[in-house]
Amino acid sequence: MINRSMSQAAVTMGQLQSKMDVIGHNLSNVNTHGYKSKTSSFSSLLYQQMDNLSHYEGEANRLTHDGVRLGTGAKLGITNVDLSQGSLQNTGRALDVALLENNHLFGLQVHTENGMDIQYTRSGNFYLNQMDDGSMILTNSDGYPVMGIDGNEVRIENDFSDISIDKNGRVVVTRGEGQSVEAQLNVVEAVRPRTLESVGNNRFRLPDGVAANEVITDVVPQDIQLQSETLEASNVNISNQMTDMLMAQRAYQFNAKSISTSDQMMGLVNQLRS
Amino acid sequence: MLRGFYTAASGMMANQRMQETSSNNMANAYTTGYKADQGAMRAFPELLIEQMGTKSLPVSKDLKLPVSRDVGSLNTGVYLQEAVPAFTQGDIKETGIGMDLALVQKTTPDENGMVFFNVQNESGEIRYTRNGNFTVDGEGYLTTNQGYYVVDQNGDPIQTEGMEFAVSVDGDLSTGGQVNPLGLSYSSNSQDMVKEGNGLYRPGSEGGVLAEVRGNPEVRVELKQGFLENSNVDPARTMTEMMNTYRSFEMNQRVLKAYDQSMQKAVTEIARLR
Repeated sequence: MINRSMSQAAVTMGQLQSKMDVIGHNLSNVNTHGYKSKTSSFSSLLYQQMDNLSHYEGEANRLTHDGVRLGTGAKLGITNVDLSQGSLQNTGRALDVALLENNHLFGLQVHTENGMDIQYTRSGNFYLNQMDDGSMILTNSDGYPVMGIDGNEVRIENDFSDISIDKNGRVVVTRGEGQSVEAQLNVVEAVRPRTLESVGNNRFRLPDGVAANEVITDVVPQDIQLQSETLEASNVNISNQMTDMLMAQRAYQFNAKSISTSDQMMGLVNQLRS
Repeated sequence: MLRGFYTAASGMMANQRMQETSSNNMANAYTTGYKADQGAMRAFPELLIEQMGTKSLPVSKDLKLPVSRDVGSLNTGVYLQEAVPAFTQGDIKETGIGMDLALVQKTTPDENGMVFFNVQNESGEIRYTRNGNFTVDGEGYLTTNQGYYVVDQNGDPIQTEGMEFAVSVDGDLSTGGQVNPLGLSYSSNSQDMVKEGNGLYRPGSEGGVLAEVRGNPEVRVELKQGFLENSNVDPARTMTEMMNTYRSFEMNQRVLKAYDQSMQKAVTEIARLR
């Protein structure tokens, strides 16, 4: 019983450390293209009902509910992702594209241990990779193929003088004198983006057991809003993160103070028999 | 008998419990929508001490009369009678996330009146919360960050069809042409609300279901989308309370020691033969 206030504070300190982890992760991704900042919020833990009334007749006229309820601290309730648009950064590179609509994502074909997996990303720094047969495929910075409209990779035959991506996600290739559209990027909209699971390297995937059509819908090419030669910067707000960090640190200190006060109280109890 | 021995001990125990209340408040100093518990100490019922004795009358026959005399009253200690949440409005923090809702109370007819969001707990019963840190689950229902359904006026979960919804200041949630009034309840005596943990409350001794806010012209409340209500714990005040409690605990410990010294005298000195 004497340790209750200590455990309340100790539990909360552990949870505050997780909050610091979230903030630290956000701060380290301030310069990650397409990164979406994560928010975290606290929630109180269970309450224990304690029957402290041995003398009910003496408690007449009590306005509040009988007994006392002692709490057990706080926990990190949830970490959510803030999906607001990051600022746009002009790069002048032909294969850099930024999505201009909230919740829109590029599809990627990722090879995992379990075979092919479709993953999603907001970061549009794409590259061309030469295949064995001489054609080029469009990939992201990790070398995973970017999905075209039919679900296949975006494959461009070699021998072109210029390549660009227009605002509707069409890959425009210049060969000799003429320009032609040779592929169409696939863009999806996440209807419930918070359901998506982060897998690292700026990629998201559908959690297991969730039907894709409940979370992801395809965007028709006319509705795709892209800006080429531009990248979307991360939407982490440094001043907010720093304020949150200070707050979490102070909360940590306050709880540490609770522990040391309880410790001193226990010291007093020990001194009773000296 | 040294009656005060247990009085001092009960003082230590009550202060210990008080410390637990403060420490839980401190742990929840940054919990969204948390309401600080205020501990109240109460003296145990009084004892009236009576001196009983006999008086010999100055007559030749040894005549004795029983006499009794009131010595005074004695309290046999103290206990933490209640820890009631202080339902004051917490300050409002902007998050910019559309799923965060804050209740801003304007006017209520009762002094202790309080407005709550209605949510459904795991056994399907209606519970009340001030924590508006909501999210949308995989099926599109609006939930609290614990996964409890946020319910509408009729007690049904709210289908949001994705994350793009707007909430008016009156608490009408609209998605794609459909308007869902959020369930908002009014408690005329918030002192009766019992904390259940996870930020949920239930009506205490009176039980039952709270009244609707809608249709009650005397209750004025405003909903703010993209805002959260902070905890109403004041860390400075809580720290002071903790110091105060600590010192009170210390004083009771001193008293207990003093009693122990008296006992020591009885044991070692009174019975000593020289």
